[in-house]
Amino acid sequence: MTPGGYFFGVCAVVAVLGALATISARNPIRGAMGLLATIVGIAGMYVQLSAQFLAAIQLIVYAGAVVVLFVFVIMLLGPDAHGADGGKRPGSWARWIAAPLVSVLLLGGAVLLARVSTPQRFRAAPPGHGTIEAVGGDVFGRALVPFELSTALLIVAAVGAIAIARSRATKPSERPASVGATRRLFGGAIHPRDARTVDDEVAR
Amino acid sequence: MTNDPWLRALLEGAAVVTALMTAVAWITWLERKIAGRIQSRLGPTMVGPFGLLQPLADAVKSMQKESIVPRDADALLFWLAPPLTLALALGTAAVIPFSPGLLASDVDIGVLYALALSGLLSFPIWIAGWASNNKYSLLGGMRMVAQGISYEIPMVLSALVPVVLAGTLSMGGVVRHQAEHGWFVVSAPGVGFVAFLVFLLTALAEGNRIPFDIPEAESELVAGPTTEYTAIQWSLFAAAEYAHSLLASAIAATLFLGGWDGPVLPPAVWMVLKTGALFLLITWLRWSLLRLRSDQLMSLCWKLLVPLTLLLLLGAGTWVTLAT
Amino acid sequence: MQSWIPVLVYLAIASSVGVVMLGAARVLRVRARHVPPTRAATYECGEEPAGKAWIRFHPRYYLVALVFVLFDVETVFLAPWALATRALGGYAVVEMVVFVAVLLLGWVYAWRKGALRWQ
Repeated sequence: MTPGGYFFGVCAVVAVLGALATISARNPIRGAMGLLATIVGIAGMYVQLSAQFLAAIQLIVYAGAVVVLFVFVIMLLGPDAHGADGGKRPGSWARWIAAPLVSVLLLGGAVLLARVSTPQRFRAAPPGHGTIEAVGGDVFGRALVPFELSTALLIVAAVGAIAIARSRATKPSERPASVGATRRLFGGAIHPRDARTVDDEVAR
Repeated sequence: MTNDPWLRALLEGAAVVTALMTAVAWITWLERKIAGRIQSRLGPTMVGPFGLLQPLADAVKSMQKESIVPRDADALLFWLAPPLTLALALGTAAVIPFSPGLLASDVDIGVLYALALSGLLSFPIWIAGWASNNKYSLLGGMRMVAQGISYEIPMVLSALVPVVLAGTLSMGGVVRHQAEHGWFVVSAPGVGFVAFLVFLLTALAEGNRIPFDIPEAESELVAGPTTEYTAIQWSLFAAAEYAHSLLASAIAATLFLGGWDGPVLPPAVWMVLKTGALFLLITWLRWSLLRLRSDQLMSLCWKLLVPLTLLLLLGAGTWVTLAT
Repeated sequence: MQSWIPVLVYLAIASSVGVVMLGAARVLRVRARHVPPTRAATYECGEEPAGKAWIRFHPRYYLVALVFVLFDVETVFLAPWALATRALGGYAVVEMVVFVAVLLLGWVYAWRKGALRWQ
């Protein structure tokens, strides 16, 4: 096996293990870490396919931004996201039937597809393909209108999300339990700060 | 040298990492000496002449100590976080040109690569904070990620100013352009200089250095995300922090101060001098300034630096267009 | 791919540094003879830890992450633009001015709605 083959192997193993962790981890944060591993593994494959710019985007946007967004959403949901019942729901026997069934179907389908279809041969990408110059030439030349429209899409997404988040955040803030407990215990605010605002970071 | 690219890369990479870790060990000594002098103390004096062997003693000490994993912690992620942080912190060095020939690889998107790794850096530290299952750690980690992602935007934007001016994303290309046309810190009147200042500020913020160290503010969060860490694991975080400061100085020197470019002295010496000067500046700031509050940090970033760097970038684009 | 070999190998070496140091510490470490039961307790300034740290956090973190994703995608577009400025000239600058102007509208909206305020 060539070193490049080993590299592909490492990336593939990281990506697949990460994907398994993402769907099977009880703890959503561990799931997010699995997603991170998958994203990094795929970025490695992009590098091997000479799509360096795509790999950089993968790291900057997906690993650096989207995973952070997921994690903050998990933190926003708090312990509720951790599955208070420990994942042991009634009727969990269904998964013992459904999971193997779906796995066998998928695997069978894949094998069947590999048997029936003729392997597709792709031409090698022309030199310079996937470099940032090529991408830039396309984005600011042929794809100018979609590019300018994408900014509108970004704005719409941000406006919608902010509107939703604000309506939740501007509700009269409920005091964290700790402050309430302190007040009950000491018959009032023991510090001027407690009288006005909630605790520094903790919302509830 | 051997012709096998993989073997060659292995040897060169090992050399760079060794040099870097050695440098990291002794800049801890340097920082402690400077901190001591600034606070009218002597700093380390006991181990070796001028306390020069202190880093070795510290390394042995931290390895002998017991690594304690808290009972309620997520042990797997708790163990994973420190080596991951160090790996990311050291990772940027792969694309930094220390001299025209001395460069692991001049990949064509070197600047983006360095920015991507440095943007990811706050994440393993957050993992450390979360895995500790300690309130101080998690609060520190949340603050760190919030600050890290916020300051990543002006950092990337200010780092793109030299890219626009040089017309290339390769680190080596940026330096070569400066060697021919003058350093970016003085070119494109004002734009380069302001971008340099913003980049330095954001590098401080990404590295959680004063005045941006609210995530590990010891007066309220004990030690921030690393509160539960002991022994060698803690040392890995410390090493990562110093490595990040050092490499951020090196990247700033490369992008804005002409990298290895300079008269008389050999290129590598210039690079070391510039990096060292910036690192000393960071150290000086660290021991002189107070820290900003979380809300001040956020307004500084989102309400001033982000629009400022966007305008700088457009200014640099206009300048390039007018100049050609 | 060729030019990336040194970078990938370097990354592998950099990743192993921490692991090697952890391994060395495994060998060198001095074990305590007597382990007090409080050793592995969560540190909370000497108090008994009250509950877990994995609690619900304020939505402001989510808001910051959201605005960050918006600007992050935009910086990704700026990278190829930074290279194309020379080739495309004033045309590229005008394109980007439009792009940034629309983006700043979103920024103003976020500011007005208080998404940038760290309350």
